[in-house]
Amino acid sequence: MENLLSLAIFLPLLNAATLAFIRDERFAKLSAIASSVVVFIISLILYLNFDFSKEGFQFETQIPWIKPLGISYHVGLDGMAVSLILMTALLFMAVFVWSIRVEDRPVLYTALFLMLEAACIGVFSALDLFLFYIFWEGMLIPMYFIIGFWGHERKVYAANKFFLYTFFGSLFLLLGLASIVVYGLFQTGTISFDYFYHLGLDYPLALQMVVFLLFGLAFAIKVPMWPFHTWLPDAHVEAPTAGSVILAGVLLKMGTFGFVRYSLPMFPEASKYYIPLIFTLSVIAIIYAAMMAIAQNHMKRLIAYSSISHMGIVTLGTFAFDGNALNGAIYMMVAHGLSSAALFFAAGFIYDRIHSYNMNDLGGLAKYVPTFTILFFVSGLAGIGLPGLASFVAEFLILLGTFKLHPIWAFIAGTGMILGAAYFLYMFKRVMLEEETISEHRREKWRALRDVEVHHIVPFVLILFSAFLMGLYPAPFVKIMEHTTKLVLGG
Amino acid sequence: MNWNAILPELIVSLGILLTFLLELFLKKEYVKAFYLVGFATLFSAFISTFFVRVPAEMFFGGFSVDSLMLVGKMLLIGITGFLLLSAYDFFYKKNSVYGEHPYLFLIALLGLMVMLSSNNLAIIFVGLELASISMYILVGLFRGNYLSKEGAFKYLVMGTTGTSMFVLGSALVYASTGSLKLGTFAGGNSLFALGVFLIISAFALKVSSVPFHFWTPDAYEGAPTPTTSFLATVPKVAMYFLLVKLTAGLFSGFENWGVILSIMAVASMFYGNLMAYAQKSVKRLLAYSSIAHAGYFLIALTYTDKLLMGSLLFYVFVYALATLGAFTVLSVLEKKEGWTHHFLDFQGLRQEHPVLATAMAVFLFALIGLPPMAIFVGKLGIFMGLMKHSAWILGVLFALASVISAGYYLKVIVYMFLYKRERQMGEARLSGGEFATLITSALGVVVLGLFPHIVLNLIMRSL
Repeated sequence: MENLLSLAIFLPLLNAATLAFIRDERFAKLSAIASSVVVFIISLILYLNFDFSKEGFQFETQIPWIKPLGISYHVGLDGMAVSLILMTALLFMAVFVWSIRVEDRPVLYTALFLMLEAACIGVFSALDLFLFYIFWEGMLIPMYFIIGFWGHERKVYAANKFFLYTFFGSLFLLLGLASIVVYGLFQTGTISFDYFYHLGLDYPLALQMVVFLLFGLAFAIKVPMWPFHTWLPDAHVEAPTAGSVILAGVLLKMGTFGFVRYSLPMFPEASKYYIPLIFTLSVIAIIYAAMMAIAQNHMKRLIAYSSISHMGIVTLGTFAFDGNALNGAIYMMVAHGLSSAALFFAAGFIYDRIHSYNMNDLGGLAKYVPTFTILFFVSGLAGIGLPGLASFVAEFLILLGTFKLHPIWAFIAGTGMILGAAYFLYMFKRVMLEEETISEHRREKWRALRDVEVHHIVPFVLILFSAFLMGLYPAPFVKIMEHTTKLVLGG
Repeated sequence: MNWNAILPELIVSLGILLTFLLELFLKKEYVKAFYLVGFATLFSAFISTFFVRVPAEMFFGGFSVDSLMLVGKMLLIGITGFLLLSAYDFFYKKNSVYGEHPYLFLIALLGLMVMLSSNNLAIIFVGLELASISMYILVGLFRGNYLSKEGAFKYLVMGTTGTSMFVLGSALVYASTGSLKLGTFAGGNSLFALGVFLIISAFALKVSSVPFHFWTPDAYEGAPTPTTSFLATVPKVAMYFLLVKLTAGLFSGFENWGVILSIMAVASMFYGNLMAYAQKSVKRLLAYSSIAHAGYFLIALTYTDKLLMGSLLFYVFVYALATLGAFTVLSVLEKKEGWTHHFLDFQGLRQEHPVLATAMAVFLFALIGLPPMAIFVGKLGIFMGLMKHSAWILGVLFALASVISAGYYLKVIVYMFLYKRERQMGEARLSGGEFATLITSALGVVVLGLFPHIVLNLIMRSL
């Protein structure tokens, strides 16, 4: 059972390595689907075997690696990590199915996504700070080339911006890592990068305050929190569909995951001290990004801003220091991963068919692609948190938890969520409805459109099914996430 | 007397004499033979380092080897060996086959090895000069190329200034302490302080740190590319091994040495990184990047600390590997007709030379400091060392400078990978030697990133 986790990390990597030798398009695509299915099954097995009543991390493996620096290959899962890995595996499976028709350099494309998958699962399972950092940075190069190779017009600009922003944060993360490791060296006389070793150290407040900011900068850029969000709309707009899906679905979660896994338990006093700062930034993100979303003409830019807004809700819940709110925040990570992925798939479908994301070029599509319309609408509802879908549970828990201690913040955040409904419905109206206003020429074009095909439906079904499941029967999911909440908040 | 101690130097000297004689008799077509003899020499010298019993002293203490310097010599010999392998085809294709090349590389190496094996400023000077003079010649060895001559001349003038500063500094140190041996201090003596200051400046010049960096871009650009890759790697590694020794044995006698080094380091980091953005030639860009790296390295010398020193030496070594790789790629490409190293030449390189472009990308990502490439371990080590001394400001400045540097390395990658090829040029084929060098440095950079203890242990144990 323990080795299964390592298998999930290294199988995609191994698959990517074989593609260096077997450069066949069919082999690449099919083997990627196969290995992502295997990874998904592995993570499902891990998820089902996860014992949420037991305290502490599970499925741990520890192998000494760089002894003089106290670095080991140490992986293991808690409730949050196992949920996120399951979501990651699901999304990558969806992405590989979706990408079955990619024609531009398909082998390289598949290999990069496989590397990305390994890095993403690695980030969520690493229990050694050094290992964590390697995986954290490991996603940078594949994602850079995914945007750079398969992106749209301003891809180079977007790829560079993505790279530099992330790298800027990571270097400060590295500086933070170095300082706590050195603190450990002073305290115990041994160098160690192990997560539990560092949990056991009680950092003095001054150190906590500084290192929280260093870690926080890296995480905040990744989330992204206002005002570090500017890279995200550009990256999303320029990235190919599959890239956007992974970016919104998985990579953004790494930031909030970092807050929950590292910042809260390792720097508890500093985390409490910075609550006002985080809350202010989160609420600004929720309201400002939602309003920005309403003002967009570009579908992907709109969804990108909605992601920023939703991630603001996650950071709000994370720092509310309440069991319910933290549960909600973790729930939201998964729920938003699903809903934003579905929305980006929808945008990608429209682009595949019409080659435009601009809402001025669209309109009245509902009649011509009926199946897609339903899928798109349900995805949108999942995003705005309609009852019965996953985001609703998450938002409810977050507001419930936050309201107890910080009623005013919760109230402001709640109003932001209403805006969410506004921008989605507005987008849906402009893209799918209002058929009577479009020109005859366009109607002619729409008539020739093909509705969704199998490789479009499968990802949607996978994602929306999970969203419904999590929305209708949240109890087991919450139980597993509560495992982390107990670890982080104690008791 | 323990003759083992000088074994590697003896072997290198014999190799030099052998190539020197061979050059008189062999024809130009056999240029490969010179390089092979040179490589064989280095190979046997490398093996011989295992037979040196350390610590050892010879010539009445004038020549001494300890385990750290021995490690240094091993690394130097290794890098030079691969450099020789990568060099022959370039000079052959460029029609400037001179028998001098292999043995000048070897003489420079010999000088650096002698420089490392002494605790006496006078003998350090002898080694340093031996190396410097051969390097002046090497830079100018593109006969008939104006830039090469200009670079050589600039290097000569600046280098000589450095030498004279070193000599004057040593003289002042001698005047204040009465000894040229390292480890004798005269605290609070202004003559001593001035002497140390001059010696620091001299080495700042040798490692091309601001404000003594002016020779670097021109010499790097003007020199034949294999020579540039020599200049950027071997002497740098040697200088830092020496500087580690000098920091403990000389600089720390002057209380403000840390301040002076930090100012120079910060200035180099930012100057090098910002100027690199203005460059249109990738070769020149790498020259500025080496100025910036001089800053990163000097930062580690501001405290005498085992962790800092160990990480520094590891960092310098893997930096040398990545730089060797990057310049080797450039020298392969330069074999094309009309290649100028201008960014536009690199445009869409991936389509024409996927292997070379990928290798270059690996080296550039390594230089940015991304894991799993080894330079990131060096960065982490230096961060840890700085944090150990609560040098927050230096740490943050270092981080900022690294972020700035990522932009121009990425620019090269963008040109190679994300733009379409427009210029058509002649062919450039990888020779066996170049291939070996590229593979070794690429593997070295990645493997040492995942298993840094292979080299780190070696350094740490002997510090």
